[in-house]
Amino acid sequence: MNQETKMGPAATLVATVIAFVVVVAVFYGLDHFVMSIQGLPLNADLTPAG
Amino acid sequence: MKNNSPRQLISQTPLAILLWVIFLVGFVPGISGASTVQAAEGTGVETRIAPVGRVQVEGQPIVEVEVTAADAAETELIAAPRPSRKDYPNIGVSSRAVVWILAQMHLFFGALVLAVPLFVLVIELTGMITGDDRYDDMAHEFMKISLVGFSLTAIIGGSLALALFMLYPDFMAYMMRVFGAQWLVYAGLFFLESFFLYTYYYGWNAFRYGNKKWLHLTLGLMLNASGMTIMVLANSWATFMMAPSGVNEVGAVVGNIWEVMKGPLWNPINLHRFIANIAFGGAVVGAYAAFKFLSTRDPALRAHYDWMGYTSNFIAILAFLPLPFAGYWLMAEIYAYSQQMGITAMGGILAWLFIVQAVLIGTILLAGNFYLWSGMSRTEGSVRYQWLIKYIAATLVICFLIWVTPHTLILSAREIAALGGSHHHILGPLGIMPAKNIAVNLMLIATFLSFQIYRRSDKVATVSWAPAGNALIVAIYVVAVANIIFAGVYYGYFTNTLYKVGSSVMQVVSTLVVIITGIVIDSLIFKNAKTLPSHWGRIPDRAQYALFALPIAFTWLMGLMGYVRSSVKTHWHVYTVMKDNSPDNFIPTIGYAGNMITIVTVLFLLMVLFMFWVANLGSTRQPEASADGGATV
Amino acid sequence: MTDTRDNRESSGSKVFVYAMIFSLGLTLVFTLVANMLPQVQGEAPSEQMVDLGSLTMDDFIALGKDLFENKGTCTLCHKPAPLGRAPDIEGADMVAVSEERLADGRYQGEAKDAAGYILESMVDPSRYVVATWGKKGTNDAESPMPAVDKPPIQLSTVEIDAVIAYLQAKDGNEVTVSLPSPEAAAETAAAAPAATGAPVPAATADEAMTKYVCTGCHALDSNDALVGPGLLSVGARLSTDEIRQSIIDPNAVISEGFPPAMPADFADKMTVRELEMIVELLAGKK
Repeated sequence: MNQETKMGPAATLVATVIAFVVVVAVFYGLDHFVMSIQGLPLNADLTPAG
Repeated sequence: MKNNSPRQLISQTPLAILLWVIFLVGFVPGISGASTVQAAEGTGVETRIAPVGRVQVEGQPIVEVEVTAADAAETELIAAPRPSRKDYPNIGVSSRAVVWILAQMHLFFGALVLAVPLFVLVIELTGMITGDDRYDDMAHEFMKISLVGFSLTAIIGGSLALALFMLYPDFMAYMMRVFGAQWLVYAGLFFLESFFLYTYYYGWNAFRYGNKKWLHLTLGLMLNASGMTIMVLANSWATFMMAPSGVNEVGAVVGNIWEVMKGPLWNPINLHRFIANIAFGGAVVGAYAAFKFLSTRDPALRAHYDWMGYTSNFIAILAFLPLPFAGYWLMAEIYAYSQQMGITAMGGILAWLFIVQAVLIGTILLAGNFYLWSGMSRTEGSVRYQWLIKYIAATLVICFLIWVTPHTLILSAREIAALGGSHHHILGPLGIMPAKNIAVNLMLIATFLSFQIYRRSDKVATVSWAPAGNALIVAIYVVAVANIIFAGVYYGYFTNTLYKVGSSVMQVVSTLVVIITGIVIDSLIFKNAKTLPSHWGRIPDRAQYALFALPIAFTWLMGLMGYVRSSVKTHWHVYTVMKDNSPDNFIPTIGYAGNMITIVTVLFLLMVLFMFWVANLGSTRQPEASADGGATV
Repeated sequence: MTDTRDNRESSGSKVFVYAMIFSLGLTLVFTLVANMLPQVQGEAPSEQMVDLGSLTMDDFIALGKDLFENKGTCTLCHKPAPLGRAPDIEGADMVAVSEERLADGRYQGEAKDAAGYILESMVDPSRYVVATWGKKGTNDAESPMPAVDKPPIQLSTVEIDAVIAYLQAKDGNEVTVSLPSPEAAAETAAAAPAATGAPVPAATADEAMTKYVCTGCHALDSNDALVGPGLLSVGARLSTDEIRQSIIDPNAVISEGFPPAMPADFADKMTVRELEMIVELLAGKK
């Protein structure tokens, strides 16, 4: 059985913030990608472009 | 052997991965397919305003004029027959009702016996990889209880063919001409399938270990391959009727058999039926396990059937989750093929039926989730996640209510009178209504969350980065839900139709991201995880009723969707090329369809009971000189 | 796992009954839901047979009537006063009317008889404009009516003859146009660009406008009213949503002074892309 090694509260907080930032960025890119492959480009603020 | 091995199935990813890969392969082209502009729209000619510089009445073949004009000798094109009403035999009862019942029964059993060998093979493989005999036994038992289903499928299929040839002779003559020798291939495959079926089933214990196991797995693979081929061949007839290809506008065959088969709706139907079959098969065998669980007090048997019921539910719900997306692809292709056909389905007189569909799918999701929550009592680690259940339940119920709310809350008399042309449904193809889209996606995510916490409930992560992994999963859930709501509200209500439709893909992708990353991250976090004790069989009796609700709802749902699929052809045998002039060429009301579906569902239920009964008969031995002993069902 | 006859397995039949009651009850619920919804039955359209090669005169006249009322879109404007935006035809004996027009001093055309006049007025409407029915501001020199042999209406010669036959026959006059010859019928059929019921979706907004005959009733390059309002600056008058609504549900809001003449079934006919292209084009007209 592996030794249970846990991250400290500070590290967990940092990880959470980073996780949220990364996930938001990924979904933002995904939204652009999904719409653009359908021929529906978006502006940077996600409003319809063109 | 590990003592926790039954639970391992939860973390067994082969099945999950297989299903998702199959689904993704089908879905990715679906996205691009949905965005391509309509290729050709089949529709009633005169009912459309089109700059057609000549007189053309529906069903009136223009080729007849061309044929009289000289160059007819060039080809020998035979147009589709145009039977008049007197050409349809009248047997005193509705021919359509007869064919309806037989076709639906054939599809039910066909779906069951195609699906069961598929997951049986995966379970058998799992058993071989883990070296746990219990997988092997369960796989064998799944085969046993569905064995009679193969004969039933064939018998009903034969009856269906007989009914079709006798009641719709012109139509069948035409189909024979179009599909030609493909029928022979189809018939031949039955022999092949039977061969693999019997060698696979009866060879189970003979080819059990070592290299012989590989032989056995190969037999199973071939059984699935032949079954799948049979299914796609049969699907091509249905899709040809909906969206004919390989024939000209009067139905004369101009292409080869491949062009006839490969119509625009073939692959969407193939994928949709393939996934639905698995969900359906899982649900039916789950009911068997639930019944066996309830009828015994033996803890060992209860543990076994609890595990079997859990596995069945796992298969059914996991296959069910991607089904809406496959359905989405199918509807998108229907719209691409014919706007008219899509509108008939989603915005026309059939639109109400999607309320019933919502009730059925809601039942399935609630039952599946309820079963998972009840099952959490098996493990001691589940208390960590219990608090989430009430939120999941609330989400499901609220979303379900949004979903079943009719689009127009208060119908005026005029709106009801104008039912055929309610504009809301038309604006977004697929009848996309943003609020309902949000609701459906959130329901899927909630159901997956139930799954995920269930899977986690007996494990404690040991990897050092577990908190970070958990944070990532939480972030994905939160952002995906926010993205789905944002897409539905913003694009659905504040932009134009194109963006509204396009944003539904965005929502679907968000849901998929949650599901796929959830599976992947969890499998990494719980690598070498510490497992908490869990107790199979420790589940409330009432949870088993969820396993009865699932197959009933699935069966009814299949019947309902079959009614839509067939009805969108309206008054055509073969859309745009062969008109249906029979007395039953109208679309029946939803109430009539509902009664028919109930009849076939109950018939199916009875025949399934017979199937299970026969399966148990084989392992029941009458005790000598004792009063009747075969009390098992 | 084989079945054993467990002594404690007494509940088997009870479980069976419960399971059946539960399953059948659930089935009943679904059936009830289906029966509670509005019940609509989709009737198949009744069959119409038109065979260009073997038409009788009665068929030909019936065809003309059908064209007059449907594909020709004539009745959108030619309605009894005060609804009509063009002279009433159905209520008038067109042969008699034609002869009056031919005798009119303002008549400059080449027609010699009623059939010729009717033909001329269909393919070259501005040749003679009935007093007060001309395009606004042209002092009856120009007709708002589109030529029926050109897009968007685009009737064939045979079809135009059928309409003339109908207009002659409806008031008991002798029909002077002849039935189409087999050659003409074949030619008509062969010239057909589209096969059975599969009009290709329009690729551009202009194509879509043509396909749905918008220009039959609306002027795109002016704000003058033809049958419907001119659309030169429609984008300034209406929002995108209002334009879309006006197309898919034209009778929701009708411009003042116009009859509810616009077909209400565009929503069923247009593809979504076509609709959006048209809306976009119109919204840009400011």
